[in-house]
Order: sequence, then structure tokens, then C-alpha cells
Amino acid sequence: MAERATDRLLRMLGMITYLDRHAGVPVEQLAEQFGVSTRQVVEDIDTLWVTGTPGYWPHDLIDFDAASYDEGVVRLVESRGMTRPLRLGTREAVALIAALRAMRAALAPGLDAGRAAVLTSALDKLTAATGEAAAAVDVRLAVEGAPAVIAALGEALSSARRLRLRYVTAADVASVRDVDPIRLLTSDEHSYLQAWCYRAGDERLFRVDRVLEAEVLDAPAAAHAVTAHAATFAPGPDDELVTLELASRARWIAEQVPVESVENLPDGAFRVALRVADPAWLRHLLLQTAREVLAVTPARVAADAARAARAALAAYGELAVDGEPARPVA
Amino acid sequence: MPAQTHPAERLLNLVIALVNTAGRLTKEQIRSTVAGYADAPTRDAFERMFERDKDALRELGIPILTVAGSGHSDDVGYRVDQEAYALPAVELTAGELGVLSLAGQFWQDKSLRTDAQRALTKLRAVGTAPVGTDLVAGLAPRVRAAGDAFGPLLDAVQARQVVTFTYRAASTGDVLDRTLEPWRLLARGGGWYVVGRDRDRGAPRSFRLSRIEGRVRPVGEPGSFEIPANLDAAAIVGGSSSERVRLATLALRPERASALRVRAVEDGAAVHHDDDDDDHAADLADLADLADPRLAPLLAHRDVVQVPFAGIGDLADEVAGYADAVVVLAPPDLRVAVLCRLRAAAALDAAPATGGSGG
Repeated sequence: MAERATDRLLRMLGMITYLDRHAGVPVEQLAEQFGVSTRQVVEDIDTLWVTGTPGYWPHDLIDFDAASYDEGVVRLVESRGMTRPLRLGTREAVALIAALRAMRAALAPGLDAGRAAVLTSALDKLTAATGEAAAAVDVRLAVEGAPAVIAALGEALSSARRLRLRYVTAADVASVRDVDPIRLLTSDEHSYLQAWCYRAGDERLFRVDRVLEAEVLDAPAAAHAVTAHAATFAPGPDDELVTLELASRARWIAEQVPVESVENLPDGAFRVALRVADPAWLRHLLLQTAREVLAVTPARVAADAARAARAALAAYGELAVDGEPARPVA
Repeated sequence: MPAQTHPAERLLNLVIALVNTAGRLTKEQIRSTVAGYADAPTRDAFERMFERDKDALRELGIPILTVAGSGHSDDVGYRVDQEAYALPAVELTAGELGVLSLAGQFWQDKSLRTDAQRALTKLRAVGTAPVGTDLVAGLAPRVRAAGDAFGPLLDAVQARQVVTFTYRAASTGDVLDRTLEPWRLLARGGGWYVVGRDRDRGAPRSFRLSRIEGRVRPVGEPGSFEIPANLDAAAIVGGSSSERVRLATLALRPERASALRVRAVEDGAAVHHDDDDDDHAADLADLADLADPRLAPLLAHRDVVQVPFAGIGDLADEVAGYADAVVVLAPPDLRVAVLCRLRAAAALDAAPATGGSGG
């Protein structure tokens, strides 16, 4: 994998700073500190060793203790004045501080006091070291769900125990299942529990606000590999392709639903194509947005939603009258 | 001699040379003395290589100053600004670095993620020991990509520079050019917004980044406006946070709409705690009169629950989605909103839509 030269440069500069502050660091520790392989560390040190100031005579070069290096311990002997840590750029500071602020606001209530304090001290130190530039970006994470559920998920994750969930799908089907929690994916839109589901015999994402009850079981959670799961569901290529023409006000669909394509039409209207795994989910969407729907293909999808809407109107009976119904006088 | 110096090695040599130079280094000195630049076969190739390297170093936050010489105009030199180079004194514990590593994974946006990762590399240099990840085990906060408009808007907010862009308004479908004094960028509920003063309207406005078409262009000078000190950007985006919490009374078919049931409150009084008397009275008027004889057929076969809500539109969308599984008993304005959606849906199969609105 080709690493960008600039990323490697930053790491090598960081290594000089780190090695100046820590006398004699094993290669393994350096690798862990900078999140790279030991082979990469050796390459970086070998490169550092031949760089320096113009002239490049031995006394011009960055130098390490060769005997120590032979034993796998990196000891900086000559730094050529490069020991000071590099400041953060404005955008770099913004990226980290905005992330930390959002994490503190959303996650701290669910963390124990010790972990919450570390989050706060990291944020305070970073803010002090970079000034207050980070107010430019403000992110709020969505932490929705019953407090008892969120507490149970947090406890199961930190103690690595199995959970029994009562869960309801988008199609309004409720079920009870035992799961091994893997991690909590918090986003700006929804929170999901990534877990191994014993009922499905597979990994699943559970939207936290649809977890009706969560019970921490005594059984320990088995270890499962963490896959780089997308935070939202992705429909498969075999699912039915549905085309919707929508008025401008339904633009959020193009933005928030995983659509195959978006095509702009006159007057701000647009056409989206989406793959639908679950007809109940599509019916739900059409019932919500019917006022903005201009056309639906295939037609039986529209007929299905219309039937459901007529059944609902029938359920209202006498209540389905326009305007403010007469209110009994108290 | 090796054929080609690794670009990272050449960049490192350039940084070390520019940090250590007593006064300044001219391009000619760099070409002839800094290791790696002898690889450039021609003067033009060297110029391109050096300009690219200089931009790359500045992009990383390394402050390279251009120092004019005393002689003719070609006599320009460069050095690193020692004052601006260094991070203020800071030491990070392993736990703090662990939290920062998590923050480094936060952004799905490629440019923000790159920025966060670079910051993290710099901060690892001032950490006390290798990162312990157990502190943040099981947590994975993520924020979706903001799109191409984000970078230029962030730069403009920082520089307090006016921008123009083409915007598609969802409410009208109009596509218009806008001129904005950008104040802040916000991520809320799955969308990114920029909040600022719309110069044409002379008032604060918010714009959703995904509806910006084409490029965001800065216009005018940096520092050309002030960002309000007590800015409530979230209120301008119009979140539901400031809306009063009300109670909906819903009749649910047995076993259905569990996601609504789990949000139900036992006693409606629970949501009134901080309200003053007027609001309290209004909330009580929202409650259904279960003795109303028109409700009898509904109450016979359904469970009645009370669900707090802030925005009528969001709850009406959700309730309409459940079709006949959920009937709104109260408040009337919520019921009207749901009926309006259901009537539109009931007409979906009425006639082939040919572009107009149905009846």
C-alpha cells in the first residue's frame, strides 16, 4: 500500500520529537505509538538516519545509537534541531476538537466518571494548545433510545456480556433475540448497535431507538471479528428496483435514503431509483411522503400504499373529518 | 548513488535545511545543496518539484517564510518561521491519546479525516506512552461526509470571507445564486448546514450543504464581517429543540407500533414539569376526551398510549407510515396532519400522475 509522502514525513518528524522525550524506545513501542508496523518503523529510522542538513557529512546527520538499535531499541543521539513538536493547522484542530466536543456531549452521560474525565481533559488540553478556532464546526450526535436501554448496552459493551434484546424492525415486526455486542455506532443521524445475532446466525445492526428492551445476561459475549460495517443498511442488487418522481420538498429522500440514482426534473422535482428489500419499508415511505409523490413505478407499489391508506382512513371513522372537531365543554 | 530519493526523504531534508538555515536559502542553494533535488534533470523540473514540495509542507502546517533578498527580484529565499513552527507545550496521557484516536476515526468525510489523522500523528509525538484502546472499547462515533462544499466553507468561516454559491431551495425548487457571510457549520440529524448572514436578504439563514450545486467561491477580502458573539446557530437551522414538548394520544392495534409504545409515558404530567401555567393549560387541551362516544369503536380493540412529541410534521410522518395500526385521538392538529398524508396516499393509484398534483 502506497502511503502518501506527506503522511510519512509527519510521522518521521513526530518520531524525532518522541524519541527526544523518551530515551531508548523499543521498536515495538514506537510502532504502537504511531500506529504502524515494526517494519515501517525500521524503514522510517533508516531514512531518518541518512537525512540532515546540507553537506550531509556525518556530523550533519540525524543520528541514533547503533549498538542500541542492533538490540531493537531506538536511542536518539543527534536531532539536528528538530525536536520541537509541530503545531496543528487550523483545520486539523477543528477536525479533532469538533469531534471531541460532539463525543463529549453525546457519549459522556453513558460513560463512567473516569472515562468521561479523560474525554474532558483531552478536549481541554487540545483547546488550550490550539486556541479557540474550533467553534466553526458544531456536530450533534444522535443518541436516541430509552435511557435504560442505553445504560444496558453500555454495561454489556464494557463488561463484554451477552444481551437479550426485544427489537422492532422498520417493518414493525417485534422479536426477542440474544446478541453479543461488538460496538456502538453513533452517528449524526441514528445510533446503531453492531452485534452478533444468535437468531440470525450473523452480524446485524440494531437501531438503538428500536430496541424496546435490553437485558444484560450473565453469559460472557463470545469474541467476534469487527467488520468494517457501513453504519446504515445497504440494499442488495437483487432487490426490486422502484422509481419515484418526487416534488422538491421530498429532497431529503435523495439525501438520506440509499438511492441508486437521482435525476433532476423541471420545477425542482426529481426522480430517484432505489432498491427495495422490504415492501413494508417502502409502503411506510410512500404513506409519509404521498403529498410529494408525482409518479411511482411499478404501479402495483402505488396501489399497495393507496390500499393501506384507505384502510387507515376507514379506521378513523367519524374522526376523519376536516377541521377542528367539536370539543365537549368541561 | 541511488537513482531516486524517496519523496518523504527529500521533504524531510528540505524541512531540516529550512529550519537550520542561519538566514535563508535561495532556490539555487536548495537545488545544489539539499539532498534529493539533484534528481531533477532540468531547471523547469526542479522548479515544479520545489513548488510542489513547498505547497505540501505549508499544507502540513509547516510555516515557510519567503524572504526577499537585497539584490534583484530573483534573489528570493526561504526559511521556516521558528516562532510559528512549534505546538505550545502539551503532554498527553495514553488515555487521552486513546480518546483522540477515536476522534481521528470520527469523520467519514475524506478531507476532514485526513486533517484529523494528521493532527493525531503530530499529537502522538507528545504522548507519554503507547495508546491504550480499552478506554474507548466498543464506541464508534461517526459523522457522514459533508461533500465538496465543506472545505471552502470552513476556510471562509475561519477567514471571515464572504462566499457565493448556487443553491437549490427544497421548499420551492428554485435554483438561485446566494451570497453569504458564513458563520458556522453544523451537523444535525443526518445533514450538514452552513449558517450565516444572507447578504441579499439581509438576515440570518441556513443552507443545507447537499443542496449547494457546483462550487463555493470566496469573494472579497478576509476579515470582512464579524461573527455574532452569542450565535445560536442551531436555532437558525430550525431544529425541534426549541419547540414545546406536547403529548399525542394514540390508539394502537395490539402488538403493533412497538417503536411508539416504547416512547409512551405513563402519566402525561411527566412532560409538564418545567412549563408555566399558560403552557400547562395548552397541554391539557391536547389530551383526548376518552368519553367522546365517537372514540368508542376505536377504544374497543386498541391500546391507548400517550407519546411526547415536539414537531408535528415528524410525528405525523411516522404515524402515517403505520397506516391503520395507529389512529390519532388527540391533539386535533396532529390528526389533521396525518389525515392529510393518508388522503394523498389513498389517491396514489387514482390516475397515472402526469406531472400535476392530484385532487
